[in-house]
Amino acid sequence: MSKATARGGVPRRPGDEDDICPVCKSSRYLNPNMRFLVNPECYHKMCESCVDRIFSQGPAPCPVAGCNRTLRKQRFRKQTFEDIQVEREVDIRKRVAKVFNRRQDEFETLDDYNDYLEEVETLTFNLLNGVDVSATESKLTEYATQNASIISRNATLEHQESANLEARQAAEREEARLRREAARKEEEDEKKAREEGRKEVLEQLVHGNKPAADVVKESKRVELLKRRRAQQSRALPALPSGTPSANSNPFTFKGLKSTAAPTPEKPYDPFGGLTDERSYYTLQDYYEHPWLDRARTDTHITAGGYTVTEYCARAMFEAFSGLGVFVGEEVAGRGDLPGGNGAGDAVAAAEAAARAEKGVS
Amino acid sequence: MALSPAIPSPHTSNTNSVTAKVKTLNMGGGAAPQNTTSTAGQGQELAEQLNDETKKKYVKDKKIGEGTYAIVYLGHLRADPKSKVAIKKIKVNAEYREGLSLDAIREVKFLQELSHPNIPALYSVFSSKNQNLNLVLEYLPLGDLEQLIRDVDGVRYGSADVKAWMGMLGRAVWFCHENFVLHRDIKPNNLLIAADGEVKLADFGLARSFSDPYRVMTHQVITRWYRPPELLFGARYYSGAVDVWSMGTVFAELIIRTPFLAGNSDVHQLELICQFVGTPNDDNWPGVSKLPDYVPFGKDGSQSYPVRGRDFYLQTFSTVGPVGVDLLMSMLSLDPRKRATAREILNHKWWATDPAPTKKEDLPKKGGGGEARMAEDLKRRAGELEDGRGAKVARILDFSGMK
Ligand SMILES: Nc1ncnc2c1ncn2[C@@H]1O[C@H](COP(=O)(O)OP(=O)(O)O)[C@@H](O)[C@H]1O
Ligand SMILES: [Mg+2]
Ligand SMILES: [Zn+2]
Ligand SMILES: [Zn+2]
Repeated sequence: MSKATARGGVPRRPGDEDDICPVCKSSRYLNPNMRFLVNPECYHKMCESCVDRIFSQGPAPCPVAGCNRTLRKQRFRKQTFEDIQVEREVDIRKRVAKVFNRRQDEFETLDDYNDYLEEVETLTFNLLNGVDVSATESKLTEYATQNASIISRNATLEHQESANLEARQAAEREEARLRREAARKEEEDEKKAREEGRKEVLEQLVHGNKPAADVVKESKRVELLKRRRAQQSRALPALPSGTPSANSNPFTFKGLKSTAAPTPEKPYDPFGGLTDERSYYTLQDYYEHPWLDRARTDTHITAGGYTVTEYCARAMFEAFSGLGVFVGEEVAGRGDLPGGNGAGDAVAAAEAAARAEKGVS
Repeated sequence: MALSPAIPSPHTSNTNSVTAKVKTLNMGGGAAPQNTTSTAGQGQELAEQLNDETKKKYVKDKKIGEGTYAIVYLGHLRADPKSKVAIKKIKVNAEYREGLSLDAIREVKFLQELSHPNIPALYSVFSSKNQNLNLVLEYLPLGDLEQLIRDVDGVRYGSADVKAWMGMLGRAVWFCHENFVLHRDIKPNNLLIAADGEVKLADFGLARSFSDPYRVMTHQVITRWYRPPELLFGARYYSGAVDVWSMGTVFAELIIRTPFLAGNSDVHQLELICQFVGTPNDDNWPGVSKLPDYVPFGKDGSQSYPVRGRDFYLQTFSTVGPVGVDLLMSMLSLDPRKRATAREILNHKWWATDPAPTKKEDLPKKGGGGEARMAEDLKRRAGELEDGRGAKVARILDFSGMK
């Protein structure tokens, strides 16, 4: 067995055995471009020019003393592993694995699969270590002929899987990037649209069908919301300066408070102890507003699932959130709440929300 | 914010574990400047000071995850070495001139607003050098649902477990929608698992608020396998129904333990939807042909599939029983307007049907060599040797004794 030469990228000294061709004895010292090749038939190493000289005319016996195996030029190749033993082992393993390529899902149990693997490993071991070589080789050939179709099917599967995996991973990365990009653009567009929002108010005053007082009132409400939002964003600890968070989106609400998890004895509550009842208003099924009509009827808008109802729900919520600043008065003026909620509950809710707000800010 | 659409029901206590946690972990760090009229200069100084204070409170330990836009570290409170937090550091990116990605801002904004047991708590935010944004999040140590689904050998689970997980996902989505937030990236690997088994809907990097009428939204959201047909057809006006479709595909995947509709391109995704759900047309989905990227399937000789009936679902998803199958079908309606809403989902009778959902502390966890096996898979993918087979053999059996 040749001496192990596992020394990675360490530069070699001239005169080292690795730098002398065992066949023609020429050395890298004189010929710095010298490359060594091996043939998987015997793994005897020789330089490129020896291979050219000896095997260009056709198959010839290996020049290494005592070897005599017939070698073909086209099977010579560069060594992948520095250690010839490793090189040879990898080759043998590849050859065996090509034939014994059963997949785990072909076996009833993991144990069966492991038994199979163990048998294959015994076979490989024999080939690697020269035990029963000819018997083992014929076993391999016999198996290969008998199972040719399964082998090729599994090879295809394996190939597809590795190709798919790589392609899929690359594609997924790219898509994730595009998604983020699109979302970013969306946000920028909206920001722009919002900046133009003020213009809209004026335009509505000029062309709109709403009475001027309404428009002004509405824009006041928006202002109020904005102020509260600005406060909230200040409450966010230490966003670096230059953050466009406060001005970009007007729908920031927090403080939805959930209750303690229900005790295990209680029946399962899919809502986890929360209710969605609104104590301050009842949502109507329909809010009349000419501006909304097209969004209700144009199939280009509705076919994707967009609903004005969701918008109205949000608009109502926001309207009352804005008024929430005066929550004390709000609550006091409300004895007869829809949905059976008494004023006491509303106060509790308001208090809970206020507490929640303090808790997070 | 004094009002919330979801208020505590009168019969339960007001103490909330999540809020309590926020308080203990956020000791003083989040204090807001009281004087809102201070000049910009003063405000900035104060902000910097607060930032430094917050930053000093946390210590980063080791890296535990990496996404497209962030590196996630395990960390702890300096004052309490036993505490655990996840610190999500948003990668700096040259394309964001302001030094901040909008993903990060979305994530901060929505996580801050949405305080719920099935949404990871955001404890704090600070910036580190180079204006890197760091989100201090509730640490969720037990991996994600994808890992459980994929580990077929290591993790066994049944319909009671699926019901519990779907219930937690349902609450999270309902809560988002109740607060007018679309998540837009629901998939098993964004469903992270807390130490007590609670599943939390994470990664709000693509979330947004419900849009105003006539305002377009991007259709390039939601990972393809979980993306609803309206987005694949390029709809620019949509609703919470997009998240519900994702929920449906996650539900199906939990049952069959393999992605239900695993398309390898957008067109292929639509083909799979046609085949396994039904071919969309103006009869089963009025107006679908008006969507921007609509292409007729099932015309010109190619096969058109009727919308799958209950029989198909009963066969394929039998383990959740007929009531569960009804729920699944309601989530996978082609027409988003006919799809169940998150609230309708939680009101469904499946939750009250036997078996009851598993208690979160009894849910199957990853393990049983699951992690080791995953590491192996990764190694195999890296594949220094091109023959994956030989390499695998060598790992499953130990041949170290071989000369
Ligand atoms: N709170 C957390 N606790 C534990 N691990 C987390 C947490 N958040 C994220 N991770 C890990 O980091 C990975 C990337 O996080 P994610 O938020 O999905 O980033 P991205 O937005 O880039 O996809 C996740 O897959 C998960 O493994
Ligand atoms: Mg993610
Ligand atoms: Zn030579
Ligand atoms: Zn030889």
